[in-house]
Amino acid sequence: MDPSQAPVENYANPNTCLFHVLFKGAALAFYILSALFFNSFVIIFVVTVLLAALDFWVVKNVSGRILVGLRWWNEINDLGESVWKFESLDQESLARMNKKDSWLFWWTLYLAAAAWLILGAFSLIRFQADYLLVVGVCLSLNVANIIGFTKCKKDAKKQFQQFASQTIASRFQSTVQSAFTLV
Amino acid sequence: MSHNDTIPLYQSSQSDIDEIENMMNGGGFQSGPGTVLPARPPSPTRPSIPVSSSSSPFVQSNLPPPPPSSSSSASQKVTPVPAPPSLPPSVNFGSSEGSKTTGFGSPPNTLTEPVWDTVKRDLCRIVSNLKLVVFPNPNREDPGKALRDWDLWGPFFFIVFLGLTLSWSASVKKSEVFAVAFALLAAGAVILTLNVLLLGGHIIFFQSLSLLGYCLFPLDVGAVICMLKDNVILKMIVVTVTLAWSSWAAYPFMSAAVNPRRKALALYPVFLMYVSVGFLIIAID
Repeated sequence: MDPSQAPVENYANPNTCLFHVLFKGAALAFYILSALFFNSFVIIFVVTVLLAALDFWVVKNVSGRILVGLRWWNEINDLGESVWKFESLDQESLARMNKKDSWLFWWTLYLAAAAWLILGAFSLIRFQADYLLVVGVCLSLNVANIIGFTKCKKDAKKQFQQFASQTIASRFQSTVQSAFTLV
Repeated sequence: MSHNDTIPLYQSSQSDIDEIENMMNGGGFQSGPGTVLPARPPSPTRPSIPVSSSSSPFVQSNLPPPPPSSSSSASQKVTPVPAPPSLPPSVNFGSSEGSKTTGFGSPPNTLTEPVWDTVKRDLCRIVSNLKLVVFPNPNREDPGKALRDWDLWGPFFFIVFLGLTLSWSASVKKSEVFAVAFALLAAGAVILTLNVLLLGGHIIFFQSLSLLGYCLFPLDVGAVICMLKDNVILKMIVVTVTLAWSSWAAYPFMSAAVNPRRKALALYPVFLMYVSVGFLIIAID
């Protein structure tokens, strides 16, 4: 977005990227380092889960929108059924998205989930059920985001393909019609 | 999160309306109020025509003029958008900054709305869910549909708060008390939901989790009172009252979800869970 940029593309939304990484990193760091400072499990639990929940919200609502142009949510329609909705920017806007942004977005999601898995394995080995609870909650929040955004991306691709084929079909139809009127 | 306050439109008609609106508003775009979800999911405002009606969730049809739109680029940060004061407080009116002309014809304005709008929408949703669930209106027309825009932030806060209160009141084993309270409530909510589903009831998993979490609010209040005053008789009275309130709040939703012959089977475990939480509150010293 900066016209006087160097040839290497820079982050388009540095603040959003920062927040995207901030809460994830804070949750992981707090969990790992807290054993050194706090004796109380309660504080560790509450703060870690709160940071993980905030991270979930930020990724789902803010950085997903701004960094990759995707959004997913769940609705209950009038019939009382649960419907998963996906929303995405159109093809041109998506193509214009900063590559570095989306690289950061996806990779930090995967890395965070992997880190929580490893921490969970540690607490499992040590038979610490309460820390396993913390890890379980954080991991499920991360995985929910990963699944949601992956589904959203697939849905967006499907929609574009449908739209593209529709456009081609309608153009074909109009050319055929105009050809017939000329004849 | 359903936009129960506006009529959702199909994309083809939306594009026409968009064109008209764009001409009227001179390039600005107004998004309708939406429903939201939290801690875990929020619902975006959808482009739809607000319908005016007498019931509160609906929005007045005379739209206030959109605020001056700033850049419509995707890199929007927290830009506070002034909410029109004429709207009822439970409905959050977000407006996107400028319209993106997309290939589909309907600008995904929830994707371009300012962050502040999302936050406000989520907060309003939590408050409205709380009001709906905990202060039950006996004249409500369809109790089963009331918690449509489920959110999990509310239940999260209430469960954690209850755990913290119990842990604070306990003189020994504070961590265990907290862990037990949290695990009991979380696992209990999941199991109760599965119970309803296995009884053949029609309830959405997250909706029921959300409901059971919100119905903890009276017990939270009771726990705080018990924490402040240590009299056993008072504790028992307070816990009984709040327990009855919680169960009464949960009753309409659970009973509406199952077959009438199985109502007791679905409601008894809920009552049991709240009773056990009540015992925890009384027994803590």
